[in-house]
Amino acid sequence: MAVLNITYGGLSADYPIELDHVVGDADIKRIALEVVRAGEVPGLHLANLPANAFDGYVVDRLQNGQRLYLRPKVPFGA
Amino acid sequence: MRIVFLGVGALGSTAAMWCRELSATLAFVDFDKVESKNLKAQAFVKQSLGKNKAEALKAQLLNFYGIKAEAFGVRVTSENVAQLLKDATLAVDCFDNAESRKVVSTQAREQGLPLVHAAISGDGTFGLVRWDERFTPDAEDAAGQATCEGGEHLPMIGLLSATLARTIQDFVEKQQRRDSMVSLASVTVTS
Repeated sequence: MAVLNITYGGLSADYPIELDHVVGDADIKRIALEVVRAGEVPGLHLANLPANAFDGYVVDRLQNGQRLYLRPKVPFGA
Repeated sequence: MRIVFLGVGALGSTAAMWCRELSATLAFVDFDKVESKNLKAQAFVKQSLGKNKAEALKAQLLNFYGIKAEAFGVRVTSENVAQLLKDATLAVDCFDNAESRKVVSTQAREQGLPLVHAAISGDGTFGLVRWDERFTPDAEDAAGQATCEGGEHLPMIGLLSATLARTIQDFVEKQQRRDSMVSLASVTVTS
């Protein structure tokens, strides 16, 4: 069981996810969109999350792909 | 121990202030000058306006706290990065562009120098502290993209800078290398 962490609008929450094959970034974003809209991510329920909410987001794969992070880009030291 | 901060804008200047009591010499590298807009989100004071940021931070640490530091008011390039990092024990990347981050990463990997990165999103809602072995720089969506210059992002900049300073402290004192993810709601250690 992998864990997908989703950060949106300053909030961040984990969602356990069963992955039996390598999943691309677009699929991760699609899954995140669905589970956040459906209220399946504790602390991150946004029923009206826009379809393009995760456009431009980055997927990090750590711990041999067991920890996935969907997050905004961080280009700046400000 | 010598810690080199590359880029002393919002994150670099603020984290450096929190690192002032570490048993280490702090060195600052930044080519930019302090502008009035920088006073809103960076650790500079009015008296530093117009000065080079690295020199200004060095002067502030000396004048306010009696802490001696080093300053290099230059733009980091592939030609001078080796010289700038020559005697470093730790490099801290707080640059605001992917190109400069890559220059520093390449040099750090070449000389086996520990390097930690700090980075924040353009809307100021999310940031990362991540060691180089797990870091890939994110590019801007567009050149000149808005950054967290306004004062409304100051609490998030403070939170992320403090997380970076704590990460540096843990490395200095215990050689620990912890990654963190910082959102408005939490600071999460990820590695």
